[in-house]
Amino acid sequence: MKQTTIGSMIFLLCAAAGLTGLHAQISGQDVMQNVYNRPTGANMTAGLVMTITNSRGATRERSITQYSLDAGTTEKKIMFFTEPADVRDTSFMTWSWDDGRDDDQWIYLPALKRVKRINSDSKNDSFMGSDFTYDDLGDRHPSEDTHKILREETCNGQECYVIESIPVEGTDVISKTVTWIIKDTWVGLKKEYYDSKGAIFKELTINNFEKIDGYWVITDMVMEDLGRGSSTRIEMNNVSFSISLSDSFFSERQMRMGPRR
Amino acid sequence: MNNILDTAARKPLLLLVAVISLGAVFVAAIGRNARLETDLDKYMPGNHPAFVFSDEAEDLFGIEDGVLFVIEHPHTIFNPASLEKIRDITEALPREFDEIDSGDITSLFTAENISADEWGLTVESFYSDIPQSGESLAALKSAVEGNSMVHGRIVSLDSRSALVVAEMDNEEFTPAFYGELLEFAKGWEGPEKIHIAGRPVVEGELTRLGPKDMSRMAPLVLALMTVILLFLLRNLRHTVLNLLIVLFGVLSAFGFMALFNVPVYSVSIMIPVMLIAIGVADGIHLHNTIHYYIQEDPLITPDDLVAKTMKAMTRPVIMTSVTTAVGFVSLMTSQVLPVRYFGLFTAVGVMMEMLMALLLFPASIYLFGVPRIRSKKEDQKTAAEPGTGFTAKAGNFLISRTPIVIVLGIAVFALAAAGTSRVWIDTSFLANFQDESPVVRTDAFVNSHFGGTSSLNIVLKGSEPDTFKEPEVLRLMDSLQQEVENNPLVGGSFSLTDYMQRMHRVMHAGNPAYDTIPETKDMVAQYLLLYEMSGDPDNLNKVADYDYLTANMTFQLKSDSSTLIEEIISIVAPYTQDFDDLGIELKYAGSGYKSFVFADLLLEGQLMSLLLSFGIVALLLTAMFRNLLVGLAGTIPITITAMINFGTMGLLGIPLSASTAIISGIAIGIGVDYAIHFIEHYRSSRREGMSPDASALHTLSKTGRAIVYNAIAVMGGFAVLLVSAFPPNRQVGGLVALNMAASALGTLTVLLAVIRLIDIKGKFLRPGVRHDPEQDKGKNNTFKEY
Repeated sequence: MKQTTIGSMIFLLCAAAGLTGLHAQISGQDVMQNVYNRPTGANMTAGLVMTITNSRGATRERSITQYSLDAGTTEKKIMFFTEPADVRDTSFMTWSWDDGRDDDQWIYLPALKRVKRINSDSKNDSFMGSDFTYDDLGDRHPSEDTHKILREETCNGQECYVIESIPVEGTDVISKTVTWIIKDTWVGLKKEYYDSKGAIFKELTINNFEKIDGYWVITDMVMEDLGRGSSTRIEMNNVSFSISLSDSFFSERQMRMGPRR
Repeated sequence: MNNILDTAARKPLLLLVAVISLGAVFVAAIGRNARLETDLDKYMPGNHPAFVFSDEAEDLFGIEDGVLFVIEHPHTIFNPASLEKIRDITEALPREFDEIDSGDITSLFTAENISADEWGLTVESFYSDIPQSGESLAALKSAVEGNSMVHGRIVSLDSRSALVVAEMDNEEFTPAFYGELLEFAKGWEGPEKIHIAGRPVVEGELTRLGPKDMSRMAPLVLALMTVILLFLLRNLRHTVLNLLIVLFGVLSAFGFMALFNVPVYSVSIMIPVMLIAIGVADGIHLHNTIHYYIQEDPLITPDDLVAKTMKAMTRPVIMTSVTTAVGFVSLMTSQVLPVRYFGLFTAVGVMMEMLMALLLFPASIYLFGVPRIRSKKEDQKTAAEPGTGFTAKAGNFLISRTPIVIVLGIAVFALAAAGTSRVWIDTSFLANFQDESPVVRTDAFVNSHFGGTSSLNIVLKGSEPDTFKEPEVLRLMDSLQQEVENNPLVGGSFSLTDYMQRMHRVMHAGNPAYDTIPETKDMVAQYLLLYEMSGDPDNLNKVADYDYLTANMTFQLKSDSSTLIEEIISIVAPYTQDFDDLGIELKYAGSGYKSFVFADLLLEGQLMSLLLSFGIVALLLTAMFRNLLVGLAGTIPITITAMINFGTMGLLGIPLSASTAIISGIAIGIGVDYAIHFIEHYRSSRREGMSPDASALHTLSKTGRAIVYNAIAVMGGFAVLLVSAFPPNRQVGGLVALNMAASALGTLTVLLAVIRLIDIKGKFLRPGVRHDPEQDKGKNNTFKEY
């Protein structure tokens, strides 16, 4: 399995059944590595509903059909917006490289009938204007933090490790996170984000996770930003790992054509 | 009433203990509870629809006033050290100040540059690492110059200065915090100059400087007034009593405020001004009466002196104080909270001064005996005897030329009325500072190099979601923006249209031909999606709400004067209908607009309370003197004073502001006092059988003298304010002096003439009262029994 599965944002925290044998002397570092090193399947397709609720209770809902392919050195993904109507058929393609290169990104706007490359190094790491950052969605490598097992406890009826992770390079934003990881599946159930003053400012809750085609998939999760009072829910449906996708699918041409129907 | 007062006054030591204990309670309360309210939002009536709407819009779009840090380099900010400084200040502000969040800061370091070429679209910071080479600095400069969303907004057009803007809640901007910010800014100086500007700074300085200056000047006012009183009264005891009355009145007003947990507003600094001007009147009239009776009978016993004085003066002192207090209480009708408190607590102070005057003067006679006064002979030289001296000459002149006096009075009145029509309201906070003060200079600098230090928001509300994705709506917004920007004092505007034009152009490889609103609604929606995905969606939250049902347009203004806001409102007016046709409601928001509305309310309230007090005073005087004509005549000094006050403001171009509006309250406070004392004295002279002319002369020589003394002492005291470092306080000083003069002159000339005229026409004394020897006899009997 490659180490920088940048595109696996939807599989926030999956687990490998084969790693459950580790126990007793397991370190916090090991736990997080196990979470990170889970197989994701090469091809995936899913429907995604993202609901962003702001502090006034107003919501924006977007439906996306997405395809992804993990081809070893690159991970390719296309997202097709299906709702709301005014952005239908807008598509967004990402090629992520494991050699440290910036992602390649393209956008297709049907109103313009044009594909444009996007080069964004915006300091804002938010995923599509939601309360999730790209880091939250699986982009963050375990080596970027030092991990410690705080305790083991039962969480939602599951035996969990409670892991405290402190960034190696201190940032202004996050001082530490605390994650509840289910012992035998390496699926995270809950995560708390602490700011530089030591207060919780974001909280991730996993509402549902399922085993689909042999992989654990989180199908419903909510990120709450306690400071802003906003929250984002991502629900997945029609998840399939059995679809076959070729490399040539991830093309400007496909972006214009829209999703497979 | 007199009995109660007399009982208290006969125990002077007990009275002293009571006064000192009450004073101590007030001092303790002030020490514990008094706090200065610096948040101007607290001055606004919270439930007024314009404020309610503005507050909601401010909340929805995060509209906050910005504190501007100006980084000014002698040549260009495009050098590594200055760019590093911009970055460091941007990062240090939220780290060092809890009041500032990192999300609230805008600078070249935080700004995003959306640019495009044939290859595609780039969203990036202008810089992350500090550019070092000449080449990269030049590239940065050209990127800035190519982006109208930053050029002229956070980097000046001449490249010599840049802004770091920290948006914050006004509530958080305290004088202490401002001090810390100044200290912080100083630490970054050299070779760049660092200035701080913005509305919170101006407001903060204003609320800080006014009371500070006033507390420095107040002792001088009192000191000078004391010297003048000493000179006029030639009596140390009565001068001290006057001072005690005034000081206790002020102390009790602020003491009660503290006891009721009412904060000190900037308008509250006018409370001592009023209480000093009004409080002296009671004392001087009492002194005058005591003086008169001693002159009449140099061997008078203390008991007799008190009895005679109180017999003559209790009624007018109570009546003047009650009518004055009622006049101030009428300010409670104002919608502006600080003005309501001003009226209430000034009234409280006036009543306390009345009580003090009525207790201290008799108590002092019981305690120290009959005061020593100038000999009658010496006194003759200056005034008293009818028929000789200056007062008499002036009096005779006035009496013999009643029509001229009235005509002149009407002429002055007409001139003042003409001036009144030129009174303008100005809510400019900046206008309150000296032209050469740092606040004014920094403000001028920012206004000449950037969009402006002030802002006005227009909030548009559609009738259904996604209204602001409609190209037709966006085009109308754009044309409104362009038209308003034609005003030279409008430095720029910002709304959703700016994002759309930028995106549209960028998606067409930067072709300037596409610097327009996109053609279709879908295209707008897709650009918005693209911006959310690649830029900072928080930026969009400042221009449109989540459902694109409401939009916010910000106009940057180079002046905080309400005149400019009026101009903009008149430019916008025709658009209101256009938007309405599209089902969109147009309203204003932001602190600038709130000040504008606030000024209107202030003026409206002040005029209302003046009108109301005319009515109340006329009614009270009518009741007191049982004569409608006299009641109406009694409002003459108020009318003249108010007209001359506003007329002079109009003619001299002094704008109506919170403090200058309130000064017209003197018209009520002093005008009523003078009228009552004057009419009362005239009436008692007539009742004692004097002819109208003799009564007029007698009143002029006695009450007239007290009025002149009172006016001179207060005018002299407040003249000190003319050298204040704080322009609004200079205006207060000048206008108080003017009001005192107008009240005194109006009473001694026009009121005299009118009363005499009424009397000559046989309408002054009621038939049953006139020359009734029984009545006079009865009066004397009562007097003796007392």
